[in-house]
Amino acid sequence: MSKPVLDNLFGSKIRVKILKFLYRNYPADFSIREVSQRVQEKPSDTRRELEELRSMTIIRKAK
Amino acid sequence: MAKKNKKRGVKTKKPALNPSRERYSLNPNFEYFNELRSLVLKSSAGEKERMIKKISSLGRVRLAVISGIFLSDPNAVSQYESPADLFVVGDDINRQKLRNFLSSIEAEIGTEIKFTLMDKEEFDYRFNMFDRFVRVLLEGPHEKIINKLGF
Repeated sequence: MSKPVLDNLFGSKIRVKILKFLYRNYPADFSIREVSQRVQEKPSDTRRELEELRSMTIIRKAK
Repeated sequence: MAKKNKKRGVKTKKPALNPSRERYSLNPNFEYFNELRSLVLKSSAGEKERMIKKISSLGRVRLAVISGIFLSDPNAVSQYESPADLFVVGDDINRQKLRNFLSSIEAEIGTEIKFTLMDKEEFDYRFNMFDRFVRVLLEGPHEKIINKLGF
């Protein structure tokens, strides 16, 4: 079976899961803890990916 | 030493921002907002294959039907309301495995899913009496990803 394309294209399975979660629930905003529970990944890994996505302006911190 | 200080009531330095307070959301002004959306919400063939494998390992699975969220076009304005996103007919289903499978699926697709399980006997009964749930599901848009019942 071929590798999951998106996970490899984006370089991170967690990143893809976070994006899916946020798009499914758009425009709601979430804390790191909520995101990590929903995507079933460690808070530390989730935070790293969220910060990475934020630095690309794909996501933003809610005011 | 830090512990001792705490006991004596000396305040230790608190982080300036409580990280759990920070909230994140998608930035609608992102240049490729819609393109990225179509890309990540598209369900892939590989995903389905993995799902079939996992469902088969839950027990004696006779039928697995996907509908609703698994078939909906992410760009569609109105979504078809199916009675279940995933419907499984089987016997001797391992409950613990099933729970794990469902939560991993939900983590994978990013939302909760409507799931229904029936054993073979109940399904046969409902199928033959034109039960509303079964009829609506099987007459609407759906796909049988596992079908050992031969219909």
